[in-house]
Amino acid sequence: MLETDKLTKKFKDTVAVNNVSLELKKGESVGLLGPNGAGKSTAIAMISTLLKPSSGDVRLHGKSVLKEPGDMRRVLGVVPQKIALYEELSAYENLKFFGRLYGLSGNKLEQRIDYVLDLVGLADRKKELVKHYSGGMQRRVNLAAAMMHEPEVLIMDEPTVGIDPQSRNHLLETIRRLNHEEGMTVLYTSHYMEEVEKLCDRVYIMDHGKVIAEGTKEELKAILSDQETVWIEFDQSYPELFKKLSEIEGVQHTDAEERSLKLIIPKGMRLLASLFHEAERHGAQVTNVHVQTPTLEDVFLRLTGRTLRD
Amino acid sequence: MKAVFLLQWRRFYRQPLLVLAMFGLTVIFVSVSAAGGQDEPAIVPVYTESMEQEQALDWVERLNSEQQFTFEWMPEPEARSYVAEGDVPQAVELMETDYRLLVGREDPARLALDSLLRRVYSEELRLEDAAQEVPDIRELMDSALSDPALEISAGSLQGNGDGDELQLLFGMTLFFVIYTIMFSLVRIVDEKRTGTWNRMIMSPVRKWQMYFGHLGFSFLIGFSQIALIFLLFWYAFGFELGDRFWLLIVIAACYTFAIVALGLLIISLISKPQQLSAVIPIVATGMAMVGGAFWPIELVTNEILLAAAKALPITYGLEALTSVAVYGNGLQSVMMPLAMLLGFGGICMAIAIRLLEWRSAS
Repeated sequence: MLETDKLTKKFKDTVAVNNVSLELKKGESVGLLGPNGAGKSTAIAMISTLLKPSSGDVRLHGKSVLKEPGDMRRVLGVVPQKIALYEELSAYENLKFFGRLYGLSGNKLEQRIDYVLDLVGLADRKKELVKHYSGGMQRRVNLAAAMMHEPEVLIMDEPTVGIDPQSRNHLLETIRRLNHEEGMTVLYTSHYMEEVEKLCDRVYIMDHGKVIAEGTKEELKAILSDQETVWIEFDQSYPELFKKLSEIEGVQHTDAEERSLKLIIPKGMRLLASLFHEAERHGAQVTNVHVQTPTLEDVFLRLTGRTLRD
Repeated sequence: MKAVFLLQWRRFYRQPLLVLAMFGLTVIFVSVSAAGGQDEPAIVPVYTESMEQEQALDWVERLNSEQQFTFEWMPEPEARSYVAEGDVPQAVELMETDYRLLVGREDPARLALDSLLRRVYSEELRLEDAAQEVPDIRELMDSALSDPALEISAGSLQGNGDGDELQLLFGMTLFFVIYTIMFSLVRIVDEKRTGTWNRMIMSPVRKWQMYFGHLGFSFLIGFSQIALIFLLFWYAFGFELGDRFWLLIVIAACYTFAIVALGLLIISLISKPQQLSAVIPIVATGMAMVGGAFWPIELVTNEILLAAAKALPITYGLEALTSVAVYGNGLQSVMMPLAMLLGFGGICMAIAIRLLEWRSAS
């Protein structure tokens, strides 16, 4: 339905997006995962016809949209990373305006406003000014505005940044419903691995402007099928111990936080004996050990040597 | 375009303060300043030592007929006391063929008073001389003046009370409307900052429609402000705006177009709202000062300033408005300033759109 072909964007000497090829099939939910600065937003700006690519193409139903972006704009709903609303107006007034941009009017417009407000759970507060809403509520109106014209494809650029867990769950549940129940095609970008894992059927992982891996969640995790993740928690921080543990033969990747350490090791490796031995030598107390199957976060760590939040 | 245009009115409805403030400031400045200019003529005590009271009162009547000052005859001690107490800056001692000013303190009106006295005395003394040759000279003169072969009148803004008021009204109106228009255009910059502009770009609405929605609102709000102020001062404050109000409205429309275009040009050059907040007052005040909104351009003698004024739309706006309202001229006589306003607007608009497109493409 929607595809990009070797999409590239250069800003002077910087290549923000480098030969990115994506494909979205109808009704699919695709995640674009990557840390801040990976090039996700630039890629999305090009797909949504906001930014002209330096090279490459964006196609909708096989037809390039670069020269004639009108068709794309009619079927695309974009939820920007920033809350792009008129805060001095009410949610109702905002939605009315965004609906009018797509040619909606009269009863159809009113019905659509009621529908999207109901969808994001703000029907009873539609007359309040947006500036009086909480951040989470503003994010929900941000989504509702992109939904006004019943888009075939919904593109979301980190739509949950900076909101409370309750609003986040509401938003994610709304997106899941739109995809599963209404068959809406979704391209979801985030640097929150758990959101992408929860919502998306397929995932593209981006880093430094390039797609470094793609596939279903299972396919990506299979990259680490011969590995497992060991998460160890200590009573306090032990930098020297952490360093020692990361140097144990066989440990492939480490990610240290203040009181915990994550190690990716080959499946079946006997780590625990060495772990407790070293811990005793450093006078450290192990408070928790958890061996888990790999997550997308672990895949990213393996592929880039960095975490998504680096 | 309609959606963008209607949105601006909705936003204006929610935040009308700036426009109302500019409207209110224009009304306050013009009405207060005009009221200040409409004071009663200053009182000048008049006394005499050498003339009979009756003769002195004839002189007082003659002087008062000029209506520039109010001359009040009183005994000398009383007149001196007024001056000594500082109640009036000066008094006049009348003599048969001359006068003397009793000055208590410096006063800007003294030169005008002196000039008036000299003129009236010279005229009167000339008539008295002539009367010795032709005894009925006064009757002959009155009869000739009642049916003149040719009437010559001269006027100037400074010498014309209505002209002063209208200069003030036009100057302040055209000055404050710059703020209204330019700050309404700042919304474009603000929309780019908040992301709503990008949201519009990603919709089927075309970019020119987005700009025209904004520009249309700015034009209409600025034009309405000018028209409403003219109507208010015409009907409520009794200002004489001449008998070609429609032409004033045409001039207002051309001026508004030029300022909208200038505003767009400024926005295309400066993209940060904070910088615009600093630049707009500088541009508005600078244009108003050089272009003759605060004082008649005729008072400016500096060649550089006069040359600079020729590049400003406010100069042509004021020129056209005063030409129609003060001197009663028609469309033909304001074609040139109107063409300048439209030309200025067209050039600014063309450059601004080019710059904005270039910026968004880069």
